[in-house]
Amino acid sequence: MSKNTRNTAFRKVDVDQYGEEVYEEDQTADEGATGPSDAEVQSMLAKGRNGDALQYVLTNAPLTSKNQGVKDKAAQTVLKVLMSLKANEIEGSLKGLDQAKQDTLMKYIYRGFENPSEGSSAQLLVWHDKLFAATGVGSIVRVLTDRKRV
Amino acid sequence: MSTTLQPYLKAVRQTLTAAICLENFSSQVVERHNKPEVEVRTSKELLLTPVTISRNEKEKVLIEGSINSLRISIAIKQADEIEKILCHKFMRFMMMRAENFIVLRRKPVEGYDISFLITNFHTEQMYKHKVVDFIIHFMEEIDKEMSEMKLAVNSRARISAEEFLKRF
Repeated sequence: MSKNTRNTAFRKVDVDQYGEEVYEEDQTADEGATGPSDAEVQSMLAKGRNGDALQYVLTNAPLTSKNQGVKDKAAQTVLKVLMSLKANEIEGSLKGLDQAKQDTLMKYIYRGFENPSEGSSAQLLVWHDKLFAATGVGSIVRVLTDRKRV
Repeated sequence: MSTTLQPYLKAVRQTLTAAICLENFSSQVVERHNKPEVEVRTSKELLLTPVTISRNEKEKVLIEGSINSLRISIAIKQADEIEKILCHKFMRFMMMRAENFIVLRRKPVEGYDISFLITNFHTEQMYKHKVVDFIIHFMEEIDKEMSEMKLAVNSRARISAEEFLKRF
């Protein structure tokens, strides 16, 4: 008997990772997606162009980025925009969104719920209600199943 | 504060209706086994994005879905010490009888007060919309029962203190 039969380290090897059908998260990370620029959003909000600010942040959402910091910053910017819109302006701004943007908006609404602050949840609930009226259950299902997390 | 209750319950109801689409899925890891994937969490491709809905900093609902199961965790509003104790005891009472509830989980998820686990077998046996109705009804009733219990505790304490102090 040789000496290395005592070595039981082979038991700790995870053999499942070497299987052929192992699922791997989509590796393509778009490093260029840096999210919306804060200064741009600030200027739009200052001018009162809230609908445009919403369009801008949704178009530049860093969905493909792997950098968590970028995503967090973008989420904060979107939350700011969502808080700034008044209840009666919400419906108007929703009209201009296509399906992809509506899904992204729904993702951000749920992201906003995760970090509740003073009065934010109440406003987000209004957004959720109005957006649901426009899109239906489909957008929630797409939020749950989409791998591109916001 | 109560103006957010109905929109909150509505949002939870809509999210639950979307997430409760479950189908049978045998375990990919162990043959001939069928496990709720949201509990086992071995295969990432079977899990959906977990979603939170909050009414304020204290009250929120976490919905974690997967292909064959759904976990709903509820954080209940506990304003002071006595509500914390009441909530804890009440939830413990129900969780000990989880088998009779069918969809209740015996231990709440970390950070929440009570959790439900709904599997595809439950949705095959029961109507989905009724299960969702049950969860929403549960959330409404809990708050009412907690306030009732708190009032009962306070009035009992007052009466017993009165009786005791009548001696002096």
